[in-house]
Amino acid sequence: MTATVITAERQPAQRRWLPRAGIWLALLTAPLWLPLLGGYTALAGKVLVFGLAAMGLNLLLGFTGVLSFGHAAYFGLGAYGAGLMLKYVVPSTPLAMLAGTLLGGLAGTLFGVLIVRRRGVYFAMCTIAFGQIFYYIAYSWNEFTGGFDGLRGFHREPIGFGALTLDITDGTRFYYFSLVVFAAAAALMGLLIDSPFGRTLRAIRENERRARFLGIPVERHIWLSFSISCFFTALAGTLYALLNNFADPLALHYSLSGYFVIMAVMGGMRSFWGPLLGAAMFVVVQDYISSMTVNWMSFVGLMFMLVVLFFPRGLLGMLRRRGSA
Amino acid sequence: MLRVQNASKNFGSLVAVQNVSLLVQTGELRAIIGPNGAGKTTFFNLISGYLAPSSGTIVFDGQDVTRIPAHRRVGLGMARTFQITEIFPELTVHENVLSAAEVAAGQRLRMWTERPDAGRAEEVVAEMLALVGLVSKANRLVGELSHGDQRATEIAMALALRPKLLLLDEPTAGMGDQETYEITGLIRRLHRDSKFTIVLIEHDMRVVFHLADRITVLDQGRLLAEGTPDEIAASAAVQAAYLGEAA
Amino acid sequence: MIQLILFNVTNGLMIGAFYVLMALGLSLILNLSNVINFAHGNFLALGAYMAFMLTPVVGFWGALLISPVLTALVGVLVELLMRFVYRRDPVYSLLLTFGLAFVMQDAARWWWGPNPLQIDMPEVLKAPLSPDFFFITWYRVFMVTIVVATVIGVFAFLRYTRLGLRIRAGTLDLDTVSALGVNVRLLRTLNFAVGCLLAGLSGVLATGQIGLNPNMGDDLLMPSFIAIIVGGVGSLTGTLFGGLLIGVAAAVTAAIYPAASEVVIFILMLLVLLIRPRGLMGEEGMLS
Repeated sequence: MTATVITAERQPAQRRWLPRAGIWLALLTAPLWLPLLGGYTALAGKVLVFGLAAMGLNLLLGFTGVLSFGHAAYFGLGAYGAGLMLKYVVPSTPLAMLAGTLLGGLAGTLFGVLIVRRRGVYFAMCTIAFGQIFYYIAYSWNEFTGGFDGLRGFHREPIGFGALTLDITDGTRFYYFSLVVFAAAAALMGLLIDSPFGRTLRAIRENERRARFLGIPVERHIWLSFSISCFFTALAGTLYALLNNFADPLALHYSLSGYFVIMAVMGGMRSFWGPLLGAAMFVVVQDYISSMTVNWMSFVGLMFMLVVLFFPRGLLGMLRRRGSA
Repeated sequence: MLRVQNASKNFGSLVAVQNVSLLVQTGELRAIIGPNGAGKTTFFNLISGYLAPSSGTIVFDGQDVTRIPAHRRVGLGMARTFQITEIFPELTVHENVLSAAEVAAGQRLRMWTERPDAGRAEEVVAEMLALVGLVSKANRLVGELSHGDQRATEIAMALALRPKLLLLDEPTAGMGDQETYEITGLIRRLHRDSKFTIVLIEHDMRVVFHLADRITVLDQGRLLAEGTPDEIAASAAVQAAYLGEAA
Repeated sequence: MIQLILFNVTNGLMIGAFYVLMALGLSLILNLSNVINFAHGNFLALGAYMAFMLTPVVGFWGALLISPVLTALVGVLVELLMRFVYRRDPVYSLLLTFGLAFVMQDAARWWWGPNPLQIDMPEVLKAPLSPDFFFITWYRVFMVTIVVATVIGVFAFLRYTRLGLRIRAGTLDLDTVSALGVNVRLLRTLNFAVGCLLAGLSGVLATGQIGLNPNMGDDLLMPSFIAIIVGGVGSLTGTLFGGLLIGVAAAVTAAIYPAASEVVIFILMLLVLLIRPRGLMGEEGMLS
């Protein structure tokens, strides 16, 4: 999974290998060292979930150069889809994940068709507004979705593989399950980004007009990128529901969309792993602050503003700058 | 090769192009000139598909492309450069031209792995870089190069698409004498040696008269005159249009 | 029967009037500076809170006049921050106003408390117009009058004043305006201030309708977005009609099928995007 910006391709192969190994090592051993720092396994799970969602968004934002501020809609649809499946239809985790991912992904695919000709802030406005539809449905439709209190009454089920059963009800086991899912999704995303398709997306990001005049069907590619990013984010949503055994309307609200964007920006929009790092930073900071003060919103808001004003390239962006300079 | 019939373009009540027709033969180099605001770039946009005409038809290589979007016209063999150079500034010269070559080889649109003939695109790139004289600068970031070299890169990209028709929008815009000389030489080679059909917009009359087989003159959105360089140079109407503008 | 229809449509127009006032401010800022002001709802709340503070001092009518101006001044300060991000990718300006919204909301909650507050409204406004039209209180008449006057004022300002002309020109092509020697930075600041003024005014008016609390702007923010999308990006007249349209749609739906009244405006938006993507009065080619 190469980092994208061309300067990275010129770094010697060793330098790329080390940070990647470091990340995986940290992720694999998280349940061991996290409690030592005052954290807990579910926090790591949260980082994975949000990290995957932010990486999904970043396929569109950082690699294609298109801004969606409404990706929470697909995340939430993934969560509700999985939860509703488990609660009302069949107690099967794989099916729940499939249902949630399809629900969120298809919603995005269809919506993408409507707005793909728009650009910039207008496009972003539409994505925000679209997300809110589901937010309102979720918190109004009490009987079905549990309304403002959220959808409860389901939990992650053990997965049967023929004779073997994978019991993921335990927190730590579920963390490793999520890690496997995350790894698979990240691998898939990496394949896409390194493929000619991925390079085309980057061309569109760099200079849309030039891309069009090279013969690239720009709108179709943007729609594809949008659609694929929604599927990944929806998958993350299903994990969210399974992690918490619970799905709430806030998973659909545009504030969460904003969180995904800031995670991608904080970690570094132009890099593959940036959103994961951004998610880690955001989750940790938010967890810490909200336990300290009731005015956590001010601090989160301030964090947004500081990142925009002083660290627009994000963590990896800054490190890369220094490395290649 | 290219036949435009009665093309017009309105933006609301503003008529940018009115009833302009054009016929370019294969292998011809046609220059489109005219005072500022004559609608030359708009006309170009109609030909390349960046804009759809309000009326009229555009036939390219025997095919009616009036309603066909820009990116498909590229696939049919039209390649275009822009007045303000449009390249990928954060990529190297090599990568810029490679992206064009890959699209031409049908590669860019694939999601999974490369096709076996990935090597072909590289050959094309090498060939194009040699043609425009940028081999020594192939690994420099385009954003860091001089104006002339950026323009040359853009031309190389257009060529890598293996076009039948090359559309150049003010290729010498913003260039000093030396660079103008080099670009003009390049275009001349493309026309004479490689036998490309070229339509270009130009303001620099020395370039126009040096290169063009035929010249089309636009003024205020309308076709003012068309003919060989000698005919145009002798035309009183053309002189009046330009002098009127200079005043 | 007539009363019922009249009730719903009037209700709708009044709700719509609110949306219009909010959406106009949002639209002004969007059109000129290409910025989505997420904190617009918070400026609304700010206006309301200012009125709350001022009413004991200068009376309701004084507060009505002064609060929007104060809100606009706060807007000017905020706009100074925005200058850092204008030239960059739009994602940054969105994140900035987004973060600002969080800060403003929390600040309001911290300063004035999370509970709803009351403004002393003049008695004359609370009385209904007449026994037949009991649902039209003088307050509502007053509110609509102010909105209409303001809207006319805004359009007149844009049409007939030099500053208004520059804003309109800037909406179309900021670079050209700059090349003509206009101080674009100042233009953006003033434009932002006008937008916040409208938000503040909405806030003062809103207290009589929906009460005064830190979250009051949230419910109006989304409808404002939709008013702009439905009416057409880049067109203030479109925003005007968009706001009224969705207000009426919401009110009528509330009467027929209450559960859907919040969602209906979104459905309207989807329909517009499907059938006429640039909005009812949007301009062709306003792609970004």
